[in-house]
Formats: sequence, C-alpha cells, structure tokens
Amino acid sequence: MRRDRGWIALAAIGVGLFLVPVLWEVTDFAVFYLVFLSGILFWVAQATSWNILSGYSGYFSFGQGAFYGVGVYTMAVLFGRHGWNWLLVILIGGVLAMLLGLGIGALAFRLSSLKGEIFALLTLAFPFILAGIVRLFDAIDGGQGVVVPVPSFPELLAPFQKFYFVLSSVVALLALTVAYLMHRTRYGWALFAIRDDEAAAEGLGVPTFFHKMIAIGANGLIGGLSGAVVALNLGFVSVEGTFNLTVPLFVIVMSVLGSRNHWAGPLLGAVYIHTLQNRLAAGGFEGWSLIVLGVILVVLMLLAPEGLMARFTRRPALAGGVFVGVIATLGLLRVWGDPVSWLAAALGAVVVVAFLPGGRTAEKRSEETSVGRGASVVLGEDLPAPLLKVGRPIVVAADVAKDFGGVHALRGVSMTVAEGELVGLVGPNGSGKTTLVNLISGALTPTSGVIELDGTESSALPPHRIAHLGIARTYQIPRPFTSLTVRDNVAVAIMFGREPRRLDASRQAAGEYLNLVGLGGLAEALPGQVNLHERQLLEMARAMATKPALLLLDEAMAGLNPVEIDNAVEVVRRIRASGVSIVLVEHLLRVVNQLSTRIVVLDQGLVLAEGDPGVVMKDPAVVKAYLGRQTDAPGD
Amino acid sequence: MSELQAAIFGALGGSLFGLMALGLSMGWGFLKNINLAHFAMILLGGYLTVDLATNLGMSPVATIVITAPLMFLIGALVQAGFERFDVSEFNSLLISYGLLIITVQVVTNIWTADYQRMAPEVNPLAAESVRIGPFVFPAPTLLAAGFAVGLVVLAQFVLEKTYAGRALQAFGQDRQIASAFGIDHRMLGVLLAGASGASAAIAGMLIAVGEPLIPFSPFDWIGRVFAIVILGGIGNVQGTLYAGLLVGAVSGVVALAWGPSASPLVVFSLVVLALVFRPQGLFPRKAGH
Repeated sequence: MRRDRGWIALAAIGVGLFLVPVLWEVTDFAVFYLVFLSGILFWVAQATSWNILSGYSGYFSFGQGAFYGVGVYTMAVLFGRHGWNWLLVILIGGVLAMLLGLGIGALAFRLSSLKGEIFALLTLAFPFILAGIVRLFDAIDGGQGVVVPVPSFPELLAPFQKFYFVLSSVVALLALTVAYLMHRTRYGWALFAIRDDEAAAEGLGVPTFFHKMIAIGANGLIGGLSGAVVALNLGFVSVEGTFNLTVPLFVIVMSVLGSRNHWAGPLLGAVYIHTLQNRLAAGGFEGWSLIVLGVILVVLMLLAPEGLMARFTRRPALAGGVFVGVIATLGLLRVWGDPVSWLAAALGAVVVVAFLPGGRTAEKRSEETSVGRGASVVLGEDLPAPLLKVGRPIVVAADVAKDFGGVHALRGVSMTVAEGELVGLVGPNGSGKTTLVNLISGALTPTSGVIELDGTESSALPPHRIAHLGIARTYQIPRPFTSLTVRDNVAVAIMFGREPRRLDASRQAAGEYLNLVGLGGLAEALPGQVNLHERQLLEMARAMATKPALLLLDEAMAGLNPVEIDNAVEVVRRIRASGVSIVLVEHLLRVVNQLSTRIVVLDQGLVLAEGDPGVVMKDPAVVKAYLGRQTDAPGD
Repeated sequence: MSELQAAIFGALGGSLFGLMALGLSMGWGFLKNINLAHFAMILLGGYLTVDLATNLGMSPVATIVITAPLMFLIGALVQAGFERFDVSEFNSLLISYGLLIITVQVVTNIWTADYQRMAPEVNPLAAESVRIGPFVFPAPTLLAAGFAVGLVVLAQFVLEKTYAGRALQAFGQDRQIASAFGIDHRMLGVLLAGASGASAAIAGMLIAVGEPLIPFSPFDWIGRVFAIVILGGIGNVQGTLYAGLLVGAVSGVVALAWGPSASPLVVFSLVVLALVFRPQGLFPRKAGH
C-alpha cells in the first residue's frame, strides 16, 4: 500500500499560503499577483466544495451557483446594507448555504428516483428560484444591485488585496482540508461506494442518506463561506452577475480537468483554468475563452475523463520536476514574460509530459501485483463437515407477502432460519426466491406480514440498519464498487460493518476475508479485471466483512463451470465453519443437497415443502414443481 | 390585461418553448442523450435567419429552407460522434455543454454580443397582429404556436404510424432487445438527431421573427425548456406540448399578478415539486404502448 503523502502536500500548501503575503511585503511584486492568487483560491474553494458532493458521491450538481449566491447576498444584505460585523456575516453566509444544501438534500435524497441526470436538473432549478426571490424582494436586492463597502480590517493586513488574499486562503485551505479528511476517512469512502453502487453500499451497512446529507451540507457550507468572502472583493453585487452560469460551469470544468475522485483534483483544475483565463485575457484573446473551455471539456470527456491528476500520479516525480524546472529556468533567465507566463509555460509543459506514452498505468500496477492469478482460488485442506448446533432463530418471517402491481411474487410465506443452519432455498424460476432475499435484506418492504431479525421487527428499517443487525447478502449478478480495488471493496464493508474500523485498519483486515474466499492474490486488481467467478467470490468476501450472523447467497454459483462450482462450494463450507448461518438460493440441486441442513421449496410465491434434504427432494409435489406440471394438468 | 388574456398569451408563447423542448425530450427518451447542443442549434438557426433575411433579402420564414437541412446535418453529425465514442447519457450532457459554450463564443465573435434583430422592412411580420374574438395576438406568436402544434402532431404521427417511429419507441424502451430484433439503432439515432436539429432550426427562426437575439440567449432558455421536458415527461411528445402551454400560461398569469420576476420563481418551484412527486411527468402516456 502506498504511504499517504496528502498531509505533507496539504501542510506545504498551508505554509506556502502563509508565506505569500509575508514575502510579498519584502519583495517588489505588484499587487496584481495577490489578486491573481486570490482568484485561484476562490475557485479552489468553489470547485473543491462542489467536488465533495458531485465528484465523491457522483450526485452531479448544476446548482453551485445557489450556494455561492446565498453567500454573496448574505454579505451584501447583512454587511453591505445593515453594517453587521463582516466576520460574523461570513459565518452566517456559510451556515445559510449549508441549510439550503440540507434542505435540497432532504427533498432529493429521500427519493430513489432522483438520481443521475434528474438530480442534476433538480439542482439546476435552485439558482433560478433564488434569483427570483432576490429580484422580487426589495429588502434583498429588488433588481437594483447592492453595494458592498470596503470593510475595516487590521492595519497589519493592509492593503485590501492582502487582507482579501488572507481571507481567501483560509477558506480555500478549509475546503482542501475537509476534502482531504473525507478522502482519508469513512465519510469519503461512503460517498465513493454510493457513487459506484448506492444500493449495494446501503446493503453493506453504509447509511447512505446520512452521508449524502453530510456531503451536500459541506458543499453548501464551503460554497457559502467562499461566496460571502468574494462579495467583499466585488464591491457591487447584482442578480445577473451572481446567478449566471459562470460558477456552475467553471467548477465543473475545473473538477473534470483535475480529477473528480481525488481531493486535490479541483485544486489542479482551478490552477490550470484560472491561469489559462488570465493568459487569454492578457493576450487579448478574451473572445476565445469559452471556446477554449468548451474544447477542453469535450476533448477531456472523450479522451481522458479520469482527469489530469490520474495522469500526473503515474509519474509524479517527472511531473513535479518538469514544473519546477521550467519555472526556475524562466525565472532565472528573465528573458521572457512575467511570473504568470512562467507558471502557464510550466503548467503546459507538465501536461505535455503527462500525455506522453508510457509510465505506470493503473492496469499495469495491478498486473504487477496479481502475478499468478490463475491459481488464486486454490483452496487449502479439506475442512471437516461442520457440526454446528442449531440455536436460536435469527430470521422469523411470518405470513410475508409481496405484490408488484398486480403480480403476487410472494403470497404468504412463513419460515425461520436459526443459528447454525444452512437453509437451501429452492424453487422454479419466478417462485419468489430472490424476492424473499430482498425482503429479508431490507431492499424491499413486504406488502403484508412481519419479518423479525433477532427479535426486532425489520420491515420499517433501512437496509443499512438490517446489515447492522447481522444480515449480509450477495447479488446474483455481482455488484462490486467498480472504481475501488478488490481490497478496498472489502475494506468499505469492514468500515461500515458491525465492527467498524478506520480506513487503514480496514484495508489490512481486508486481506483476511480475501484469503477466506481465495482472492488474496487479486487484492490490488480492479473488479473489471477479474472474471465472473472471482467477482462472485468478492461478493462473498465483502458480505463476510460486515461480520454477519446470517449470509444470504443469491445464486452465487450461477454461470460457473464445474471446477469453479467446486471451489465456490468449498468457500461456502469455510464460511459456514466460521459460524455464520447461510441461506443458499441455488438452482444446482447437487450443491443444495450436499450443503444444506434443511431445504425450503418455494413455488408460485408459497412454501411448497420444507425439511430434511433427503426427504424433501423426493416429495412428489416438489418433483412435479421442478419437472413441470404439464404432464397432469395443462393450463393449471 | 385580464388573467384569461395573460394565460392565453402565455400559453401561445409557451408553445414555442414546447417546440424547443421537443427535440431535447425525444433525444433523451429514445437515444439516451441529453443534448445541450440542441440549444446551440436553436441559437445558430436564429442568427442565420437574421443574417440570411437581412443580407440575402429572403423572407425570414423561408430561411428554414436553408437552415433546417443545415441543422439536420449538424444534429446528425453530433449524434454520429456520440455513437462513435459510445458516450454515456451523463457524459453526453457535459460534452454537449462544451459544444454549447463553443457555439456561444463563436456567435459572439461573428455577430457581436449586442442584440441582433431584423429591420422592420426585412421582417414585416413582427409588427403585424391578428384579432381573434376579443383578443389581439401578435403575428409572430401565432406563427410560432402554429408551427409548434404542427410539428408536434407530425412527430406524434411519425412515432405512432411509421416503422421508424415504432422502432424508435422500441429502442427507447430496451436498446439491446430492439437491436436484437434487427433495428439499426445507429441509423435511426442519426435520423432522429437530424430531425431534432431541423426542429431546432425552425424554433430558432421563430424566435428571431419574434424577438431580438443575444449570444447568451440559450442560458435564458435552458431552465425553462428543461422544466418543460421534465413536466411533459421525458420522451413524451404530446406531453411536451402540453407542458409548454401550461408553463407559458402559468408564467403569464404570475407575471401579471406579481410581476415578471416572479414567474421563474413559480415555474421552477413547479419543477421541483414535479420532480419530487411526479418524476415521470404530469401527462402519463396511455398504457399499452
């Protein structure tokens, strides 16, 4: 595992920001450079706060302008019109924008339909609504605009540009720190899991609603703080100047350019775009700025949607070296341009280097680490057949029914699964097996009937609470978190499971579960690089990592060849030997007979038979359900 | 002006927004693209109408003979590009956003950022009005409403009655199954995107006839047009027209009662409510399709 150098980078940025005004005092640099850097810092704060929600969690927002606008107008009204203390007003602006974010979240995140493009369009509406309110009420603006006077500030920080630089630094540093801390802790990883597969994340114990609210709250808070600060610099604010598409557009382009799944991606994008804008304006090419931004967006989305950050981290030393080298050379020679031109030249050189072929790609790295993958699922010694005592009930389902519209998927099923059992759940296609799994795991709620887990009625609980009660499941078609490695898939499950741990500890502990299913050699691979069997084993490892009392295996062997099935059976035996009860949904009767302590047969949404494997499978009714009923009652 | 009059005026104006929303809604519903470049094509169509009418002396309405085929081509090319790069629904939104801002800048550089409108002698329609019963309607508004209703009826007819339309519906419901049954989705997609482009050219002409244009006009349209797409139901042709009329009427009445700045407030609050309570649109299609 790579050691994390983020703290060092963050501290270096902090020290650098502190040194800038100090050095500025003792050198002869013009005030322009403070203004230029403050501009970058504004965009760092806006883009980073946007990225916490839209990059980390994938809930793409066109509504950054709303948070920004709340901050701007809080400052304009409370400080500009009423003369409140500006420091207090900055905080109020942040809090109001955060409340707006939480309000949007409370509205949108309750509904599973409000995802993807629909969420993006919902957020598009809020700047329009706010602009309407601001324009409508004379107490806020009334369409005339509001003057924001220059605030009084300590003499030490004079002139105003220096004071504004310091304020901008504080907000930008706050944004980066929050983004970094989330990236290193469960708060960020919950969002990564949500981005890849929200339902799977919830099923593994991630409280998705809570974490989305945190993300949109942080987005609003920082966006609002930054908006309130920038209003001090604007001097005059208007509806048209505030609620236009500049802020939402720029934060998107910057984050896409930098990277949407790295805390420093938006920082990188902000530096690039702001410098580019500045050079275009300085060179008299202002009329090209949208064209350049548009081309960047189109080309990046088509060719490198993962962003520059991913390119740089392949060869960090080379990228850093070229950057410093170009600036130092131009700075020492002093034959061409000003410092901003040197910066622009260095940034351009780094991009050229980053797109040269070669370097360590993510795929190569994982190939290096997954040597001998063919043998990855070889299992150890034969385990003795587990002799576990049947204990107290874990799941008690009483007369559970589920309708989908007019379709009765389950029509009153009662069953119990107790500690130490391995219940084979079988039945023809459409008999309701997967529906029952979805009901027990909380992905669906029953139309009628009661399910009790460990004595707690579960039908009203969200899936993550059910996971915490000790129910884990796998999906028939594996649903791994595709952007996380095999190891990190398991680590997320540990982080949010019944015995949660921190990121690093979870990553270490993940190896144990990967070894349990024989995936130890593929820990650093991405799920897209492993085969179906290995993805199904990953499902089991991930489910086990939540420390369940009961594991629901939904056709975990579908589509496998005979050798792989034997492997999977061995893994199921191991899981059982570790003391976890299992419900095995399976079509392969050989496997079910071999493993089960008890079999439940479903047919047309009802329990057809139940009991000892040897007895149940000879039941004439079961044989008939499986071999078809056309022999005796056509059209039944 | 009475509320009734405001509602009728608003609804007629809203039908033009419904026409703008039509291509976007069909692309989203059937091709799974959210094509913001549609607004770029409307903008270009409008500016070309102004330019052709002013410099070549064409009748403004007749300019669509040139602009519609041109936008058909551009729309089809963009769609072919999306197909070529296998662009996902979400990425299409960002890429076409890039195309839109490029277009806005190009239009600014060619025609300046100032308002562009046709001189009265070039565009005599702008000053005319028609009296129907107690109401007097500006001719451009009636023209726009006529085109909008006509094109929606045409689109509905093509979707319901022709092989291509039925194939599109099948494709919108399940791409893989439809492809397996031998539907050439590439060709269909390119044709539909071309048709959307042509409708954008017509919408652009109608806007240019009625009001002055600036390069940033698309950003005034986006919000309202998306509101209509969502309220109408994504991919629902008739719903789009109804939603356009509804949004227009509501805007008209609200603007009369509380002032023009209140109407976006009401319209977008309506959108939020619609997204939360009826994400499938206000006008559900009949079952059985």
